[in-house]
Amino acid sequence: MSANANDRLVLALPKGRILKEVMPLVRHAGIEPEAAFEDEHSRQLTFATNRPEVSIIRVRSFDVATFVAFGAAHIGVAGSDVLMEFTYPEIYSPLDLGIGKCRLSVAEPADLAGRDDPQRWSHVRVATKYPEITRRHFAARGVQAECIKLNGAMELAPSLGLCRRIVDLVSTGSTLKANGLVEIERIAEISSRLAVNRSALKTRPEQVGYWIDRFRDAAAEMANAA
Amino acid sequence: MTAHPAGEAGQRALLPNGLRDVLPPEAAQESLAIKTLLGCFGGYGYQPVKPPLVEFEASLLEGASPKMSTRIFRIMDPVSQRMMGVRADMTMQVARVATTRLAKAPRPLRLSYAGEVLRVLGSQLSPERQFAQVGAELIGSASAAADAEVAVLAAEALGAVGVKNLSLDLMVPPLVPAVLAAATLDPALFGPLRAALDRKDAAEVTALDGRVGETLARLLEASGPVARAFERLSAIDLPPAALQVLDRLRQVVELIKAAVPGLTITVDPVENRGFEYHTGISFSLFARGIRGELGRGGRYLAGAAQEPATGFTLYMDTVLRALPEAEAARTLFLPYGTARDAADRLRAEGWTTLAGLEPVADSAAEAKRLHCTHRLSGDQIVAL
Repeated sequence: MSANANDRLVLALPKGRILKEVMPLVRHAGIEPEAAFEDEHSRQLTFATNRPEVSIIRVRSFDVATFVAFGAAHIGVAGSDVLMEFTYPEIYSPLDLGIGKCRLSVAEPADLAGRDDPQRWSHVRVATKYPEITRRHFAARGVQAECIKLNGAMELAPSLGLCRRIVDLVSTGSTLKANGLVEIERIAEISSRLAVNRSALKTRPEQVGYWIDRFRDAAAEMANAA
Repeated sequence: MTAHPAGEAGQRALLPNGLRDVLPPEAAQESLAIKTLLGCFGGYGYQPVKPPLVEFEASLLEGASPKMSTRIFRIMDPVSQRMMGVRADMTMQVARVATTRLAKAPRPLRLSYAGEVLRVLGSQLSPERQFAQVGAELIGSASAAADAEVAVLAAEALGAVGVKNLSLDLMVPPLVPAVLAAATLDPALFGPLRAALDRKDAAEVTALDGRVGETLARLLEASGPVARAFERLSAIDLPPAALQVLDRLRQVVELIKAAVPGLTITVDPVENRGFEYHTGISFSLFARGIRGELGRGGRYLAGAAQEPATGFTLYMDTVLRALPEAEAARTLFLPYGTARDAADRLRAEGWTTLAGLEPVADSAAEAKRLHCTHRLSGDQIVAL
């Protein structure tokens, strides 16, 4: 390997739900974080790994994209929902990791869905964590979307009268159902992607390329095993 | 109502988003860097031109990408009653100068420029709305030697100002269109394919269209260090138009490698973002660890006559981030009453001098207070 293969490389991983699915992949790719990583109560934010040049940071899923876009992390794992929301030109997402699968959908109360005619809309008010995607989605069909940015518990918004529609991630649909909502439209199929900083890929092509290949192999092997 | 004085002063100091005061020593560092860059260009025979800051909107946007129209500030000219635009990019201005006023100048025509540009919105990665662009354009040659000359010049000039670990990423914007044109593809697929290629998502590209998708996915895999890229590219079955483009790329790479042996060169056969209007070999410049591009350039058609042209622009905001921190100049304190001819001699020797304007009791303390690095004591220079 060339000399710059030993440069420090920061891998950003998302906290929470996806992390459990990501870790087998990371290990398969040959990265084993230090013990403190498994401790959910640890206040540590940066973790060393078995590879002296690779360190891991654990941040919120939206922040993975930001860290990678600015080159503060070189590689990361982010949902395609997050990447669609930001559309940073500095991020490449060369690899679908095939994990964290769900869909991004529009939902509304079941009683409204029965009598609603979306063709007549000129304006909708939507509660969502994804204002950009939502605006783009509705604008493409000539509807202006007024987005209320929420960071969680979107399903509450219709029942409490905040707005009638939400745009949110749906996996099994049970949360929607429990809140009397139905999915009326799918905006996109979502899965986790490997996110790569453009400048890092261009200036350290061997090293970053090596890790992309490792993750590609790991994702393929795990997909075969499943 | 009584405002807090600090608050009032704060209000006066506040600048609009994306605009800033550049202070010492960075301002000096920037002007020195620009001078060095223009000096390098000059050495290769590129002569400076200086188009105006503001032009009629129509001529400013002529031949520019449609996006440019959303990037410029507009002002109404009270004299001509026509709309004017403030330049957000200088390349088009220089192309206009070359193909109108300098249409009769012998070709190939080599021009350089440096100037501030203003844009309506910065990006999140580079929030500056005003920054300096420094560039060179080579108009009237379609040769591979011209492609190589501008890339080499950009790399050499950046090296001369002190940018380390430079990396040149070469692109061929006409390649993907050549592949798509040969494939008789459903036009509805163009958009999604382009988006997937931009993300470098090979799986999505293949999923969209099996046949051409496989070729495109292999082009994606070919992107990387130059030697490996060519190895992989030569194994792909491509239409004649695409092969021609790659042939040119090969020639240009050989010329660049011969001119700048240590330069890191990568090839990206599918990159297109921001290069939609380039018609041949294009490039971006990166420095390891530095956010964003230091500059970009490539082949285009200049003016109404569609003259073959190539060139590049360096973005000084990013270039300056890639330079080592500015050092304060070595400054010599001259106590009040130092003889004129002695001071002249010291400046001629290269010293930056700071003259005391009034007699002071302790000239050493005074020199320190003014951040001088040395002081003159009698006819001795004393380091502080």
